[in-house]
Amino acid sequence: MNVELQINNSASAEARFVTWAPSPCRIRVTNRAAVTTPIVNLHIQGISAASGGAVVFRKTTTGRFSSSLTLHVPISGASVPFFVGGRFGRPSVNEGDVTIEARDGTTLVGSVPVMVRIRKNANALTPGERDRFISAFAQLNNRGAGRFQAFRDIHTDAGDLEAHGGPAFLPWHRTYLLGLERELQAIDPSVSLPYWRFDRAAPNIFTREFLGESDDLGTVQFSATNPLQFWTTDGVQGINRRPQFKTADEHPDLSTEAETLALGRLYRLFREMQGNPHGLAHTNFGGSISSIDTAAKDPLFFLLHCNVDRLWAKWQRQVGRFDPAQKASYDTRRGNRIGHRLPNTMWPWNGITGGDRPPTAPGGPMAESPCVAAPGLQPRVRDGLDYQGAINPLSRMGFDYDDVRFD
Amino acid sequence: MTKKPKATKSSKSVPKAKGPARGPLRQFSIPKSEQGTVKQRVAALTEAPLDLCKSDKNLQVALKILRSKDEPVKVRLAALQSLQAATFSVVEFASCRTDYLATLREIAEDPDPELRQRVLGILARDKDRFAQKKLLEGLQNPQQALLPPEKALQLLSYDVHSEAYSAAREIVSKPPNPIAKREALRLLAADASAAPMFEKILRDKSELRENRQISASALQALNPEKLQEHAREMLLDKSEYVDIQATSLTALSQFGDQEAAAKDEALLKSVDRLSSKSSKASTKTKQSARRFLSKYK
Repeated sequence: MNVELQINNSASAEARFVTWAPSPCRIRVTNRAAVTTPIVNLHIQGISAASGGAVVFRKTTTGRFSSSLTLHVPISGASVPFFVGGRFGRPSVNEGDVTIEARDGTTLVGSVPVMVRIRKNANALTPGERDRFISAFAQLNNRGAGRFQAFRDIHTDAGDLEAHGGPAFLPWHRTYLLGLERELQAIDPSVSLPYWRFDRAAPNIFTREFLGESDDLGTVQFSATNPLQFWTTDGVQGINRRPQFKTADEHPDLSTEAETLALGRLYRLFREMQGNPHGLAHTNFGGSISSIDTAAKDPLFFLLHCNVDRLWAKWQRQVGRFDPAQKASYDTRRGNRIGHRLPNTMWPWNGITGGDRPPTAPGGPMAESPCVAAPGLQPRVRDGLDYQGAINPLSRMGFDYDDVRFD
Repeated sequence: MTKKPKATKSSKSVPKAKGPARGPLRQFSIPKSEQGTVKQRVAALTEAPLDLCKSDKNLQVALKILRSKDEPVKVRLAALQSLQAATFSVVEFASCRTDYLATLREIAEDPDPELRQRVLGILARDKDRFAQKKLLEGLQNPQQALLPPEKALQLLSYDVHSEAYSAAREIVSKPPNPIAKREALRLLAADASAAPMFEKILRDKSELRENRQISASALQALNPEKLQEHAREMLLDKSEYVDIQATSLTALSQFGDQEAAAKDEALLKSVDRLSSKSSKASTKTKQSARRFLSKYK
């Protein structure tokens, strides 16, 4: 007998990535062989490689997770649904480093390799994770002429009111980061966006092997094996970044994670973090990253914002603010400009230009994912809130943070 | 490794204004110089950048501190940092922006070199014509320069104009110091007509390796096919420096034609040599070489 296991309800190998939030999966018999009973009891479990990820299962959208599952599968070929999530605290390091196996008794009848793909602290990446990330990023930029061009063109003064002009600051940047992450994953699917935890020293990030080491002038130096040595943006060779703190053992002077999470239980209070720590994280440097128009030229920008997003995700989990219908989850006060109200589609993914929107919309619609459908090609502000599918499983956006639980 | 934050919020003894501690309507409060230490005043300035914009009074307080040569530089830099952080909140900052930029221009010639450098950096990223003019004038007349030539070139590269190209070419031919030459090369990486110069520097073994690496990067942008040719040749050249070979290998493995590489026996042999135990290459370079070979063997 053989069975087929579909992750994220897809037979494609490109969909074999899970996060803490459970992915819908299914199993079906593809070759009944000598089986005569109408139903077989199959045992499902994850087998982890050394230092690999780990997965947990459940049969429905709610209920407890377990390390294995027994499913009653008809031999007719009809699919039986189940759900797989990463075991919190056990993310993958490499693609396919955990295998989901289906057994009939002791006989292996089907298996599929998956990756628990989670956004991690950049300071703690393995050399392999680090190298894959910078390689994908360098290729995405491709001497300044690659797809990354659109990301630089989006985050400029021209689009500043869309990105920074109101309460959609957080959902807009969440969408922007996800778009970039999906582009990186199209180059190397094992990559996820790491975050720079700016309230702690992060000596491993500011090295020649990773995001570079700044000299006194603020010119960033790379090792000869680092592909970021070829970084060029809009004709500017290299990266200008002048830290105003000692990157080897200090961090910027800004609100700590605990202080940020204590800003208040209402989104309109929490979003004050746009100034501190977010703004101060930018301006603790001289160089590109300290001005809106040039910030996205520095890859560090995306790690900085990944941490801003992680703080929001952590706050959402702490106070339960995923539901767009709940007033405390967003700032719905009157006076928000277009692009900052929950039902509005967000620029540039909506392609709307002119009038109250910027004159151009670089980059086209939101990049799609082989794993999830959300947030769609033209995300609305409201689509950015329920990123784990905590309120509606279909809202799951396909990313998670190493220290933010699903439940 | 982790160092205590330079100023933790809980340790501040700065008097807080009335009202909710973190609420959007909180009043901004900076102790006057006679009322607080420098540390307290720096902390008060940077604690909540958005509060700067919540009233004209707040903004004027911060701008006044930034302008005042009587204030300690640390306090002025904190005001600058906080104002710049507030620019990331576009709507709140909109009403302040004109005054802010005018203040920056006003203090662009401040006696303090750190403040001057940061202010000119902000203006240069904003493509400010006043700052660009000052920086160019400084390159042409070093006695009146507001910043060292290498910094001026770095800042001019944010929005390169032809005048900057000619100033950079002069510095490449007669560099006042090695870093100025490096920054001039980086600026010229945007100039398509500079490609032959970068080819020459890339292959010149007497050049500083940093300049050769910049030339490789510039060629990658200006003429990627040419860089691939040179990278291959430099890998085949047994007398070439191993770090330049590592840069060449990175160029080929990241941006090269994989099919051509797979058929190129001479190249694979050279990379094999780089990966060997007897090679002088770094461990990381050997790993990269092995990874490159693993794709084709």
